[in-house]
This record gives sequence, structure tokens and C-alpha cells, in this order.
Amino acid sequence: MDLDTNRSLVAAALARIPGGDRAALQTVYRLTSAKLFGVALRILGERSEAEDVLQEVFVTIWRKAGDFDGSRASPMTWLIAIARNRAIDRLRASKTSRRMDSIDDAVEIPDGAPRADDALATSEDNARLYGCLDGLALEENAALRGAFFDGNTYEDLAQRHRVPLATMKSRIRRAMMKLKLCLEADQPAKQPQ
Amino acid sequence: MSESTDHNGLSADELLAAEYVLGVLAGGERDVAARRAAREQNFARMVADWEQRLAPWSREFAEVQPPADMWRRIADALPATPVRRPGLWQSLAFWRGLSLATGALAAGCIGALIYLGTVQPPALMIAAIDGGGHHHFVATLDTRSGTIAVVPAAFTADASRVPELWLIPADGKPRPLGLLRADRTVTLAIPPTLLAQATGKAVLAVSLEPQGGSPTGQPTGPVIGSGKITLL
Repeated sequence: MDLDTNRSLVAAALARIPGGDRAALQTVYRLTSAKLFGVALRILGERSEAEDVLQEVFVTIWRKAGDFDGSRASPMTWLIAIARNRAIDRLRASKTSRRMDSIDDAVEIPDGAPRADDALATSEDNARLYGCLDGLALEENAALRGAFFDGNTYEDLAQRHRVPLATMKSRIRRAMMKLKLCLEADQPAKQPQ
Repeated sequence: MSESTDHNGLSADELLAAEYVLGVLAGGERDVAARRAAREQNFARMVADWEQRLAPWSREFAEVQPPADMWRRIADALPATPVRRPGLWQSLAFWRGLSLATGALAAGCIGALIYLGTVQPPALMIAAIDGGGHHHFVATLDTRSGTIAVVPAAFTADASRVPELWLIPADGKPRPLGLLRADRTVTLAIPPTLLAQATGKAVLAVSLEPQGGSPTGQPTGPVIGSGKITLL
């Protein structure tokens, strides 16, 4: 399925949910649950926890689908943000250092090979983000990835990279600032996706 | 919020949005960011912009098939219909209206149902937790299931402290029920030993405590609000 088709199917199904259409939610589930489960599993590292989060995610979608604004955001971006946030909330609530122990055994992620059914962003957007990430220092890149994919906090990252907390904070803030400048420099009149 | 730009051009708000989306915040800071994203349009836009900037990264999350019975579990967990207007269930006016206007009606209906023998006696009670002229939270107790659902109303989160809920029965001694959230409804289990004391003679109170809750089992921070429990 190509990117635009999938994207519009998900968006159309989301639009029917606020009226109480369960079949529409099931369509969203069919099109996106593998991706969203992958997000939760990557962050939480444990299937039963990821299953609980996936359930919360779809109950949230059922309740909040009316908030989705297709003119401002891509549906997959919106859905993945919900899944990441729920998974990170669960991770924080568990208050264990499990992640720090298991970080090396974490679910291996594939190489970022482009997928036709990933209705996330255009290939230009991909190239732009990866281009800008390549422009960051190695330790900046590693810290951003640890936060985004493993749900690490500033404190987790400071421990993992053996630097003081303040150093990690300014490293990440500087990296995010550079990232934004780079992304904007490349695209002066960017329309929202 | 200050417009300090000590990170070469990112305002404090924009930085908070970036940190929230990246996922590095914990505890109170994350709660504050989530709450602002839910309620402040400008901040929500900054969050959405950062989500969009990082979106291509999400391609790296591998797809994993959830278990076959997962859809059934979700379908069973869904409320009957989505709430059309987001925020209705979190609106204090709604709850106050419900408790005042429909209390008698609900009692009548439940009475009729009991008469018809279709349901157990009613077990819903409600308390508005007010203080300093603000309605901070609204709590609904279900004594049959032994749970209490607490909806944030005008409560404003504090970056360093967390709100903790206390049941104060007729003996006047606070018993901890659990931590609340500024950004969403929290459902807590009432310990069975306390359930019998959650009556119209009891009061609910909220205090501000260190992260993780009161270390002593008694309120250590300021009590920001309280309210009597009444039958719905």
C-alpha cells in the first residue's frame, strides 16, 4: 500500500470515530496496531507491558479522535506520539532501573530501511532529518537516540554516558537547537505535513 | 513563561516542548509539559511541530504483530461512545451540574432499578475538593468496586511536588489513598479496611508532597483543598 493511500485511509477512519463508529476504530487498529505495538515494545522492552499500553492507546484514540486535525499533522505522527507518550508514562511509573540493566538486550531495531507502508513522512523529510542528524556530534546523536527510542531521561542518559547531569542537559538542548536550525535552514517555506 | 533564550534561540517554552517530545523529562516536569500540551494552544503547537520534525525517525520502530486477542481486549475496554466534546468529563461544571441536578433523578432511577431487582444498591459518592477559592479536583467513589476516580479541575501542577489524596474518616486521622495527576483522571483502589470508613462522615483532602508521595504516611506538605463525601 502506498504512503498516500494508507495515510488517507487512517485519516478517514479517524474522522468517523467521534460519531461512535467502532468499525472505524477497528480499521485504525488493523492499519496501525503493528507499528504502535512496535513503538510500545521498543520503549518498554516487555510484551505484557506493551500490550497494556497498546490497549490504553486505542482507548485514548477512541476518546480523542475528535482532537486530530488532519490539516496540521499526519495521522501516523499523531498516533505514534500517543503511543510513545503512553509507553514513556508507563516506563516512568514503573520506577525501576530495568531499562538501564537491559539496555543492551533491548529489542533490536532494523536499520531504518524505508517502508512503503510507513505513512509517516515524505522521503524528502526523511533525508532532511537524517542529514541534519549526521551533522550532529556522535555523542549528541547517541543521547537523542537513547531518549527517543529507549525512553531514557536526562538522568538515565547522564549515567549511561558517564557525564554529569548538567553536561547531559546542555548537550541535548544544544543538539535540539542545532537540529531545529538545520531543519529550518533547509526548508524556508515549509508547509505542515 | 519567560522568553529567555539561553540556548541560542530556543525560548524556554520551545525547549520544554522539545524535551517533552524527545522524552527526557521525568516526574513533575513531564507532568507539567503534558498538562500544558493538553490545555495551551501555543504550547500544543510547539509540541506538534517537534513531533513533526522527529517523525521520520519513527520509521525505525519495527512493526511487531500484537497478540491475536488484542483487538477483543481493546473492544471490551471501550466506553460505549467516545466523548464528543473532549474535556466534558473533566469539566467541573459538568460534575457539579451532575451532582446537583441529576442527583435526585439518579436516585429515583436507581431506586426504580433496585425495586425491579436489576441492580445492587447504589454505591456512588462524590466529593469536590476545594481550597483557596479553587475547585482543584472532583472525586467519584464507587464503594462497590472499592475504587475512587479523581478528575483534575482547576489544579495547577507544581514542578517539584505532587498532589496526594487522603481520606479523613470520622476519627480525623488522614489515611493515604495515592498520588493524583494534574493532566488526567486517576483511578485509585481504596484499601478494603478503609472502605467502610468512606462514608458521608468522611472528608477527602489533597496535600502537596515530594515526588513519590509523603515519606511518613501522613501529610507533610500544605493541604491545598478538601471536600465532604456526599451520596450521588
